[in-house]
Amino acid sequence: MPTRTRAPRRRRNLAPVAFVAPFLLLFLLTFAVPIAYAVHQSVMDVEYTGPLGLGGSRTAFVGLSNYSHALSDDAFLRSVGRVLLFAVVQVPVMVALAAGLALLLDSASARGVRFFRAAYFLPYGVPGVIASILWGFLYVPGVSPLVDGMRHLGVSVDLLGGSTVLWSIANIVVWEFAGYNVLVLVAQLRTIPAELYEAARIDGAGAWTTVRYVKLPLLRPALVLTTVFTIIGTLQLFAEPLVLRPVSSSIDSAYTPNLSAYNEAFTNDNYHLAAAEAVLLALAAFVLSFGFLRLINKRGGDA
Amino acid sequence: MSRTTPRRRGRGALATTLVALSLLISACSGSTDSQDKAQAPAKPGEKVDLRFWSWVPGVDKAVDKWNATHPDIRVKLEKIPAGSSGGYAKMRAALKSGNAPDLAQVEYQEIPSFLLENGLVNLSEYGADKSRSKFVDWQWQQGVFGSAVYAIPQASGPMGMFYRSDLFEKWGIAPPKTWDEYAQAAEKIRKADPKAYIGTFPPGNSAWFTALAWQAGAKWFGVDGDNWTVNIDSPETLKVAAFWDEMRTKKLIKTEPDFANGWYKDLQSGAITSWVSAQWGDAIISGNAPKTAGKWAVAPMPQWTKGANVSANWGGSSTAVLKGAKHIPEALKFAEWLNTDPESVDLLLQGGYGWPAGADAYKGSSLDKPSEFYGGQKYNEVFAEADKNIDTSWKWIPTIAATYQHLNDGFQAAVAGKGTFVSAVQQAQKQTVEDLQRKGLKVSTGQ
Repeated sequence: MPTRTRAPRRRRNLAPVAFVAPFLLLFLLTFAVPIAYAVHQSVMDVEYTGPLGLGGSRTAFVGLSNYSHALSDDAFLRSVGRVLLFAVVQVPVMVALAAGLALLLDSASARGVRFFRAAYFLPYGVPGVIASILWGFLYVPGVSPLVDGMRHLGVSVDLLGGSTVLWSIANIVVWEFAGYNVLVLVAQLRTIPAELYEAARIDGAGAWTTVRYVKLPLLRPALVLTTVFTIIGTLQLFAEPLVLRPVSSSIDSAYTPNLSAYNEAFTNDNYHLAAAEAVLLALAAFVLSFGFLRLINKRGGDA
Repeated sequence: MSRTTPRRRGRGALATTLVALSLLISACSGSTDSQDKAQAPAKPGEKVDLRFWSWVPGVDKAVDKWNATHPDIRVKLEKIPAGSSGGYAKMRAALKSGNAPDLAQVEYQEIPSFLLENGLVNLSEYGADKSRSKFVDWQWQQGVFGSAVYAIPQASGPMGMFYRSDLFEKWGIAPPKTWDEYAQAAEKIRKADPKAYIGTFPPGNSAWFTALAWQAGAKWFGVDGDNWTVNIDSPETLKVAAFWDEMRTKKLIKTEPDFANGWYKDLQSGAITSWVSAQWGDAIISGNAPKTAGKWAVAPMPQWTKGANVSANWGGSSTAVLKGAKHIPEALKFAEWLNTDPESVDLLLQGGYGWPAGADAYKGSSLDKPSEFYGGQKYNEVFAEADKNIDTSWKWIPTIAATYQHLNDGFQAAVAGKGTFVSAVQQAQKQTVEDLQRKGLKVSTGQ
């Protein structure tokens, strides 16, 4: 029963539109348009005509043939398998390590919290390329004090070999991003009201019980966030293998999906195939991130 | 530049954005086919500006020299990343967007790729053929397709063998004349010093392997009527691959990457005692292992047939005029001057650009002198001789960069224990045929 009179809607209020416009414009220009363009590129291909192909070229619609080529390319599929394996190990290690460090920083007996927080965060300020160069020096035998030192102890290890280099890369990634995740988690821990701790103490909860039943459940949103970030970052693995490639014989041109797309585009001049690989990678990241979120929300909808 | 230099590639994201942007722009600008009319030279007194993209060390000095002596034709040099580090991607993007410079550095193996993109100006229409005699013939041929000339040769890399004469002497090893002797020498070196190797097989640098196949008499690519021909897995190549497979399985060589920190360290420490390489390798050794001065010498490349004298080429680069150039006659004039004028060649030599493509440029140049670093040897005589003994019929295909990657991937897998160098070569043959066919090109495989 409509008791209220409707507000006069003659004069539309344009203020919201004006506020949203700058964002919307940038969003369109830097996000929507490039994605649409990449999708467009991925269904086109260049065809050369005439003797030796020197009679000119045209770009034609080829449907999904770039996708089928990418998905039937062993090297590309191997690269996808490789980052998935990487993710299976990397995501739990990263999240557990970051949560552990954050809880330590937050614990009542922690000293030098500010110093450690800054120290953990510092590597995040180092660009990935620089970090990879630095670690590269620590991996190359003959240059690395690490490798040479271990050799003196009788342990000969090839950190750039076929079976090890992926974990050498994982080490760099953990070094780079763990501190960032710690910071996100610490921020979340800070929002937990002191009364809850007080109540827990009155109920006789020790430090460990407080962590298990107060801190971790309340840390959940931040843990979910860092996990999603880590999943996406893992799939997009690029700078580290690219930088280590000249010093390792075990990183090939399609070591990760991103590296494969990069090489197809800029070395092999197959922009259209590269676009298809990029779209596939974006889809995979989308599916995995949202899959994870759904899984989490279904399981613990009560949180 | 004729070498594959070590490099750090961190510009990926930025380059992607830039290229994506320029592609976007070119997509809007529509048709790329331009009707070409032969351009007339500038009128006397008219001032002309040329844009030139290059990454060769020392080229800036040569350009300064030109600008000082040619007030009417001003060349503006823009340094770009080396070709495969992003320079070519930049050029292709510029060609697509119709904003290419007048002149650019193009390595020999990349000329067909640019030809396919319709990116090079046929210089025969501007009388380039007259200059043919000024250049080493095989290098001139690298820019010739059909009856048209598409590039002015600049430098190449005739090959020989750098070796540590002090260590070889200490261990009683003579510089190997054949590949058999090379294998024997490798074995002796392993026995003489457990840390030392005769050299490395760089699994990620198949341009080097390509040169060795070239020396063995392989002819990977060619043109047969309307078809490109691909014969990577010829018996000659397989022989070379099998040789290195054996060296690898017997652990007589290292398999570390070249032009990398570990490799430089090995050059300094004597863990690597020789390097079958191109002439421009001289500056790589002297620059990265300065403390080994006086201990190196140069011998001709080991041979497959005893008493033969066959060399090969590794690297090589030209100056090309790109489609869309506004002053082609002037650009051609500059390209010829840059690569033949003795003063220009000398400035480029000081930068270490490689072996000059100009005929007789070696005689009397700064190369034509004994070198202290190389034990007082007039070592460039070896390369001058090698330059005359290179199979001149070697050709490239438009998808060579992909072929290199296939070989690299296969070699790296072999080093990691999956497959062999031989199977890598066979695989690369198949993949290269597919690469060409994917672009709509006709391919035949000869034998």
